[in-house]
This record gives sequence, structure tokens and C-alpha cells, in this order.
Amino acid sequence: MKWVEKKWVSVSLLWIAALGIWQLGAAIYGPDVIPGPWATLKGGRELVSDGTLMQYIGISFYRVLVGWVLGSLLAVPVGLIIGKVNIIRIFAEPFLNFIRFIPPIAFITLFLVWFGIGEQSKIALIMYATFFIVVLNTLTGVMSVEEDKIRSARSMGASEWQILLHVIVPATTPYIFTGIRLAMGTSYMAIIGAEMIASNEGVGYLIWNSRLFFRTDWIFVGLFCLGFMGFFTDRLFGWFGRRVLYRYGVVSVAARKR
Amino acid sequence: MSTLASQSQHTIQIEKLRKSYSEQTAGDVHYIIKDVNLVIKGGEFFVLLGPSGCGKSTLLNMIAGFVSKSGGNLKVDNVEIDRPGRDRAVVFQQADSSLFPWLTVRENVEFGLRMKKTPKAERRKISDRYIGLVGLNGHEEKFPKELSGGMKQRVQLARVLANDPAILLMDEPFGALDAMTRRTMQKELVNIWRETHKTVIFVTHDIQEALLLGERIGIMSVGPSSNITDIYDNALPFPRDVASPEFYSLYNQIQGHFEE
Repeated sequence: MKWVEKKWVSVSLLWIAALGIWQLGAAIYGPDVIPGPWATLKGGRELVSDGTLMQYIGISFYRVLVGWVLGSLLAVPVGLIIGKVNIIRIFAEPFLNFIRFIPPIAFITLFLVWFGIGEQSKIALIMYATFFIVVLNTLTGVMSVEEDKIRSARSMGASEWQILLHVIVPATTPYIFTGIRLAMGTSYMAIIGAEMIASNEGVGYLIWNSRLFFRTDWIFVGLFCLGFMGFFTDRLFGWFGRRVLYRYGVVSVAARKR
Repeated sequence: MSTLASQSQHTIQIEKLRKSYSEQTAGDVHYIIKDVNLVIKGGEFFVLLGPSGCGKSTLLNMIAGFVSKSGGNLKVDNVEIDRPGRDRAVVFQQADSSLFPWLTVRENVEFGLRMKKTPKAERRKISDRYIGLVGLNGHEEKFPKELSGGMKQRVQLARVLANDPAILLMDEPFGALDAMTRRTMQKELVNIWRETHKTVIFVTHDIQEALLLGERIGIMSVGPSSNITDIYDNALPFPRDVASPEFYSLYNQIQGHFEE
């Protein structure tokens, strides 16, 4: 049974099994409750042909990307400062641990009031979803830099600024990377919530709006798009991490065994 | 004048040095080390020997400038020490926690020079020299995780030597190595010391190691309020022979301190 252990064999078997169960479910419960693979594909073709699907994917992706990048850019220096400066940490830590339990979705109405119904409120929401995860990871990274590293840099004549730049930042890189990667997941969750409530385009809007026409096949299309968007951006980011940040010890969950 | 000049060769002067982590200054204060007096001449190989928890690392960290003193004087060339400096290099016990894993061997060795903004060509020349001195030729582009424990300690040694410090502070640097690697490293350290004329303060709890390396061996008492109780001169010629009767008798003398 050696051939089962080959990766392409096991993966294809898994996919065939999944499609089979899905089709079975569709056959039992009917296409309105569970649209089968074929019905979903047809629904997807419909959405692709009039251009809405690509447009929705584009807009959702754009929102996530902008909010996630901006949020991370803001969070990394904040995390570094909080981790490095004791006095700031004493004040900031309880606050961070309080606010991180408030999910982004809970802020939607407030963000609409504060930032308007345009793109800003959605991007602000993604930034919020990104910010705290990245700050906390960065902070944890800074706290776990070994004292010996800082001491040895200091006795080799490094200034405090050089220590931050040449010791703390590289030592913290794996933590920052993990934080940013996790934040991508929460960003997708947040944007779908936001698009369901306050948008008229995007994948979240598609999923939510399809209920009006009882197009469960379109909902399935939306779910698949989300899965693939997340999967591919995560893979891309993980690949980037392994390639570019190899020396900083960034490892990927998906990294293959050697 | 000549005596003054020879005295200022990176002499370390320690007078009534104390360290306590408690806030109170009077009454029943718990001292880690108390009233340590010591003078270490420039170019000397001095070993601090004592059991675990006797405060020898604390003393070393104070000389390094990592730990502040609670009383007394601690001077190098008549200048009070209150912070780490390029003149006092530290070789840590754990290479894994002190080397920079994201830098190659060469980049680790060049770290101090890069902080000083030494031009690249010169950095390369210096790192080549010290990588050669510690016997790591051919491993320049490797990362620390690709090296063995002994090789990592060589990197640490090359890394501090590249900054041309006057004083080398070594905190049980070979404690985590296997016996055979340790023996090789001890021999090579002696060679490097004789070649570079650095002042070395070497902390260990291993009597044999102390006797193999030190010109003088300071015995530290068990804490709290520990102190340097005795200093042994060890004039045996290098390389030292563990099996020689002189070595053996000195070994027994020192061991006597720790048996009571």
C-alpha cells in the first residue's frame, strides 16, 4: 500500500472523497439546502460571466490587504515600544488584554458612525482586527529576547538604538511574522462581517445578499472564494517568510519535512 | 613614573565591593558578595573558583558593567565602572543565548565592528584573522545552528576578540561542552591568551580547569556575603600536565577548601 503514501495520491483521494460526500449530501437534502458541486459550479459560472465575482473578490481583497498592511505597520513599532519600555508596558498591558477580547464585529456600528459608510470604516475595522494581535505578538517577542544577547551587544559597544535595530528587531522577527500571519485570518473574518452589514459589494455582501434570492449556490461560491483567498494569501506569505526571513528562524506551519 | 605606567596596563582594582539586591542600606542586609578586595594586573590570567551560587558570576557581571554595585570601588585603569564597555568583552556560558542566530559566523564576528561603523574591507580583514585564530576557517558562511557546541564557543571568542578588548571576562564558557572538546578549548584559550596578551578573568567551579588555565586562582567562599578567601599562585609552565606531581599537590590543596 505504498502508493497511498504518495502525496498526490492521498490528496486526490481526499478531494474525491470530499466531493463524494458533498454530492451525497446534496442528493439527500436537495439543492436548496445543500447545492451540490455541479450546482455550485454553475452558480459560480453565472457570477463570473457578468463580472461580479471577480469584482467582489477584488474589493474584499483590497480592503483586507490595505487594512492588514496598515494595521501591521502601525502595530509593529507600537509593540516594540511597549515591549522595550517598562513604564509604558505597565500601563499598556492591562488595556491591551482588555480590548483584545472585543471582537472587531462588535465595533461595526461605531466605526460606521466614526469613519462613515465608505471604505474608511471597513479599512479601520481590518486595522483594528490586525493591530492587537500583531502588537501582542511583537510584545511577547521583545520580552523573550535573551538578556545575554542584549548584554553581549552592549559590551561590544552597541548603542541602545543599535540594540533595538540589530538585536531586538531581528530576534523578534519570528514573533512579528506569526502575529501578522494570524492577523490575516481575523482580517478576513472582520471584513466579511463588515460587508454583510454595511456594504453593497464584496464577498461578504455576496454571501449575505444571496439570501434574498434564496441562492444557496451563490453562498457556496462565496464560501469557496473566501477559503481560497485565505489559503493562497497565507501560503504566499508563508513562502515569503521562509524565503526572505529564513535566517531569522521564521518557520512555516506548512513547511515540509526534510 | 615607570611603575605608574605598568600599573595602568588595564589593571582592575576592586576595593570593598558589595552587592545586595535588597533596598535597605542598614541593619540586617543580605549581601551576595561582601567586601571583595582584588587587584588584577594587566595581561594576567585570573581564575575565579568557587561552588555554584557563591556569587562569582555576580562579581564577573559587575566587572562587565551589567550589574551595579551596592558599595565599594570597582575601577579599570582608575576609572570607575558603571556600565558595559568595549574594553571589557564577555564570553557567556551559553553560546545559544548570546550568539545572534540570524547572522552567519562571519557576521557574528563582525558585529562589534559594524556597530563601530568600521569600513567593510577592514571588517573582513579583522574577522578573517580572528576566525582563523579560533580555527573556524571554512565555516564563515554557516549559521550558529549549523555548528557544534565547541564551535559556537569559538565563534563567541572570535566575536569578542575582533573588538580588541583589553579584558576578557569568561563565565564558565566551557561548562556545557563535553570533556574532550573542553580540553581542546582550554588548550586553545591558553594559546590565544599568550598570543593576544589580554587580561582574562575566568569563572569556573572546576578545580582542574582552574589549575590548567590560571596564573592566579581566587577561591570564593560559599554565599551569602561571599568573598575571595584565598588566592593561589600557579606558576606551572604551559602547557600544563595534569599528571605532574606539582599539579596534583596544588589540586589537593585547593580541594581542601571545598571539603570542610
